[in-house]
Amino acid sequence: MILTPCAMAEQSTDERRAFLKVITAGLGAITAALAIIPGLGFLASPLRRAGGGAGGNPLRVAGERDVKPGKPLRVTAVGARDDAWLRLEKVTLGSAWLVRAVEDGPIKAFSTVCPHLGCGVDFDEKTGKFNCPCHTSAFDLDGRCLGGPSPRGLDELETHVEGRDVLIRYQRFRVGTAKREPLG
Amino acid sequence: MSADPGPVPPASRPLPPSVRRRLGTWLSDRLGLEEIEKTVRGGQVPGGASLWHTLGSVAAGLFVLEAVTGVFLATAYTPSTAGAWASVAYIQDQLALGWFVRGLHSFGSSALIVVAGLHLLQVLLFGAYRRPRELNWMVGLALFGVVAIFALSGYLLPWDQKGYWAKLVEATIAGSAPVVGGSAQKIIQGGAAFGNLTLTRAYALHAMALPALLLGLLVLHIYLFRRHGYTPKWSLPPEEAAARAVPAWPDQSFRNAVVGLLVCGVVAVAVIARHGAPLESPADPTSSYLARPEWYALPLFQLRMLFEGPLEIVATMIIPGIVTALAFALPFLDRGATTRLGDRRKVLGAAALGLVALTALGVTALAKDARDPAYAKARAEEKTRGETARRLALKGVPADGNVFRNDPRYRAREIWDERCAGCHSMSGGGGEKGPDLKDYNSRAWIRGFLANPDGPLYMGPAKIEKGMKPVEASTDDLDALVEFLYAETGAADADAAKAGRGRDLLSPRDCDTCHDFDGEGENDGPNFKGRGSLKWVAAVIADAGHPLLFGDRNKMPKQRTKLTPEEIDELAKFVIDLKGK
Repeated sequence: MILTPCAMAEQSTDERRAFLKVITAGLGAITAALAIIPGLGFLASPLRRAGGGAGGNPLRVAGERDVKPGKPLRVTAVGARDDAWLRLEKVTLGSAWLVRAVEDGPIKAFSTVCPHLGCGVDFDEKTGKFNCPCHTSAFDLDGRCLGGPSPRGLDELETHVEGRDVLIRYQRFRVGTAKREPLG
Repeated sequence: MSADPGPVPPASRPLPPSVRRRLGTWLSDRLGLEEIEKTVRGGQVPGGASLWHTLGSVAAGLFVLEAVTGVFLATAYTPSTAGAWASVAYIQDQLALGWFVRGLHSFGSSALIVVAGLHLLQVLLFGAYRRPRELNWMVGLALFGVVAIFALSGYLLPWDQKGYWAKLVEATIAGSAPVVGGSAQKIIQGGAAFGNLTLTRAYALHAMALPALLLGLLVLHIYLFRRHGYTPKWSLPPEEAAARAVPAWPDQSFRNAVVGLLVCGVVAVAVIARHGAPLESPADPTSSYLARPEWYALPLFQLRMLFEGPLEIVATMIIPGIVTALAFALPFLDRGATTRLGDRRKVLGAAALGLVALTALGVTALAKDARDPAYAKARAEEKTRGETARRLALKGVPADGNVFRNDPRYRAREIWDERCAGCHSMSGGGGEKGPDLKDYNSRAWIRGFLANPDGPLYMGPAKIEKGMKPVEASTDDLDALVEFLYAETGAADADAAKAGRGRDLLSPRDCDTCHDFDGEGENDGPNFKGRGSLKWVAAVIADAGHPLLFGDRNKMPKQRTKLTPEEIDELAKFVIDLKGK
């Protein structure tokens, strides 16, 4: 056949076939790579893409007077988020606990995401502590870890009070590490 | 698998005892590797290896290419009316190498249809459908049918204009079938009309049911092929073919690999040259899209053109039905003793005639569109619309899937509908309480206004007391005044000399009794400095009652408190763009 190099005709049939087998396997591998390599690049693209938990503008989450001393208030941050092909205008980005120690005192915000494995942290009014329902980590009103498997205290979020409004800059952090690392 | 209890002896090539050999034996005992190897090797090729015999393998290889790229695409695709186009645009324009993977999938499907078609012709030419291969011929035809349904269902998934309208026509054709048509259409669509269920159904079919079906048929096809072996070329007597037999592995496999790589290479080059498969603008059920099927369905499309009205069913159902039935019955209709071409004149003649007819129909369809200026215009419009949509999609598509919402002009149109359309018109039919803004500030509009300010298309509906009186002037003078006002809008094609003459007429014609032209005077009528420019129109929208504008006589509600400055600017641009629409 035209595709067989002339020189090969002179070699013994067995040698020629052994060579053909290698070439055939090689050609097959090149063809497979043509489809698989770009596809793997496509699958691995999130590794090179930033984004995920980055906090944008401060978002209004509550009225300043709604936050009573010693009574943490669970609030939801609603804002815009890019999600792959979608640009979402008003979606829930996550929630936070607003905590104030004394009347008219400063307000702190803690992400409800447990730094252990990412469950949502609850507030137990009887004990006055934050409890993670999944793996029993506990935190005090200052976010310090009191027990359980959590590697660090609750993640504090940037808070502003503008007039009568409480604004937070919602952000996500990597869970499972002792050091606080913002995502995105 | 293997029923052999004992270890399989390494028959012809005694190896020194080693871990590798022992592992090989261990696996062989359990998996039956020798048998698998025998199946994979594929026996002998009577009459020698040839390029003819590569087509089946290449078609199977292209199916694997489709499966692999299909899985990658499925990782980023959403079958919903709001998300389908957006996710495909994301794959095409934002995901790393997404355009390449999608291009391979799309162009690869065309290659698969070509190669599978050639394979079918080769089998026909070689008489390989004959006894004892009747069933494999039928399995092959079924495979071809599955590939066609693959292509038709995949075409819809991007939910762009092309896919949407082509599929709509196909669903309607299905709906025209006697008795079961209506139900068939509802089942395809997942309801009375196209919607989310149309997509989820097409997707489940395309990405789950059809791959399973095709794989099953392919395994059967290859099993039957292995059982009956290669059919040698028609010109070789059986003894000679047997004498010239070579092992399929590697002699035939090598040719398969070369042609396979060549075909994939051509597909890849086409993908790179055209930067992937086309993606038109998102499906718009309200548009009048000039629907055309993909190239492989063009002959059927053209055939339908030949039958009108109640006869349409001849083209859509009866002729394709008869041809399919004949194709399946072929092994039983043609049972000659040899596969020589001379003994199969009728079959080959009919096949050649069919091929010529298909080509002629396809070429006619293409030639007709190529000659049609309306077709070219529709394509050009769609190209612009598609490019705009994809550019807007880079910002992220809104959750309802309407990418045109990202266009500031779209927002302007929404504001117009909400806040302006109650009083103004833009259709030339006259507004309810304000001027009609069709062709606003064109020379004709200005001339009409000067001739009859209280006319139904101008200030008439606003019912302004002591409004402007009609301008009485010679045609020449009126022309000059029109040109002066036209120049104030900032129009590039204004005649400066004529406009200057118009300016000199302002005093003699008493315009300056009510109007100032300096941008400062707050006379009864609006100040005309830059009248009709973006800044001036935006100022009118913001607050037409400003002393520089209509002052106390104004009746238009001010928008400054309702809209942001950006929205007012976009709205002003929108109003200015009404000229020449």
